[in-house]
Amino acid sequence: MSLIHLSFYSAFTLSSLGLAFHRTHLISALLCLESIILSIYIGLSLWPVQNQATSFTLLPVLILAFSACEAGTGLAILVASTRTHGSDHLHNLNLLQC
Amino acid sequence: FILMLSLALGTMITITSNHWVTAWAGLEINTLAIIPLISKSHHPRAIEAATKYFLTQATASALMLFSSMTNAWSSGQWDITQLTNPPSCLLLTAAIAIKLGLTPFHFWFPEVLQGSSLITALLLSTAMKFPPTTILLLTSHSLNPTLLSTMAIMSIALGGWMGLNQTQTRKILAFSSISHLGWMTIIITYNPKLTLLTFYLYSLMTTSIFLSMNSTNTLKLSTLMTSWTKAPMLNTTLMLTLLSLAGLPPLTGFLPKWLIIQELTKQEMTTTATIISMLSLLGLFFYLRLTYCSTITLPPNSSNKMKQWSIKKPVNTLTPTL
Repeated sequence: MSLIHLSFYSAFTLSSLGLAFHRTHLISALLCLESIILSIYIGLSLWPVQNQATSFTLLPVLILAFSACEAGTGLAILVASTRTHGSDHLHNLNLLQC
Repeated sequence: FILMLSLALGTMITITSNHWVTAWAGLEINTLAIIPLISKSHHPRAIEAATKYFLTQATASALMLFSSMTNAWSSGQWDITQLTNPPSCLLLTAAIAIKLGLTPFHFWFPEVLQGSSLITALLLSTAMKFPPTTILLLTSHSLNPTLLSTMAIMSIALGGWMGLNQTQTRKILAFSSISHLGWMTIIITYNPKLTLLTFYLYSLMTTSIFLSMNSTNTLKLSTLMTSWTKAPMLNTTLMLTLLSLAGLPPLTGFLPKWLIIQELTKQEMTTTATIISMLSLLGLFFYLRLTYCSTITLPPNSSNKMKQWSIKKPVNTLTPTL
């Protein structure tokens, strides 16, 4: 069972590193955010299988609903930044310098 | 206005939760509700602020969910107050620090406040800080006190230092918010009631300052200098509120600082208390500069723009007397 633990821990770590080190496009950050949520979803789906507690099977669906809303918001922000800044390049987000 | 209702709903859900997923859901509802509020004006700065806010808060929520999942895998339950797994405690501390804006995760906060309108900035710095603070309160007995104290001292230092060179009032208030968060966090493992007290008083004072600045529409220091022509009574009470935020003795803002220092000396942390008192002197400098610009001087450059005679809504002069 610890191989499965390792798989979604490493998926989470890789996605969060990808989110931290995104370089030019905003959309790569959104993709890494989605893969973080996906790894959490898989980990949570395995939990009632492991513990034989069937009352917790609804939990991943709830999380999926909220994270889908959040992904939609992220895409809307991407579209808005393309409308105002011209592209989703992160170098262009420098209007608010100290 | 349905977005405000969603904010209230999200806050209520997080406060009244004892399961990690309900806390996370409330935080997500808050994030989703405030993104359209930030980006309402379709100005490029507002969209940029919304982008930065969204990315940081979404990573913090995902980190929080992951830490609760690892805690559930290792201990078999989802209760908020029973956080037993040490790596998940660390991840949760990092997630809440990102959500609140504690150092070293504070970089998004001044820019997001700068890009949003004054009322939205008020909501961002008072109402959006309340649910993560409640989660911190619920889990404070199992978090690492050294880490929290280090982050708090660094927050007070950075909030004071980086506020010194600012001329935009929203960024100044952002840095004051960061340093007040440091004051709140330093006492949380010893006496959580003082954290709540500091939070309530801070949000009250910040609300009055933001509302005063919204009435006179001051976004820069130069605008603050000519605001005495618009509503003189508001200006004097704004000065008193600013000095209260700085923490000067006869005003209300001194009370949390005094009680926190007293509690820290009771816990034999006198060097910490001395360090944070010294560091709040840095904040005092820019609060004094704000009061100097707003009330004490009557500079000759009051002939900038004629539009400064317009007040957006009837001025509530009682707000700063809170």
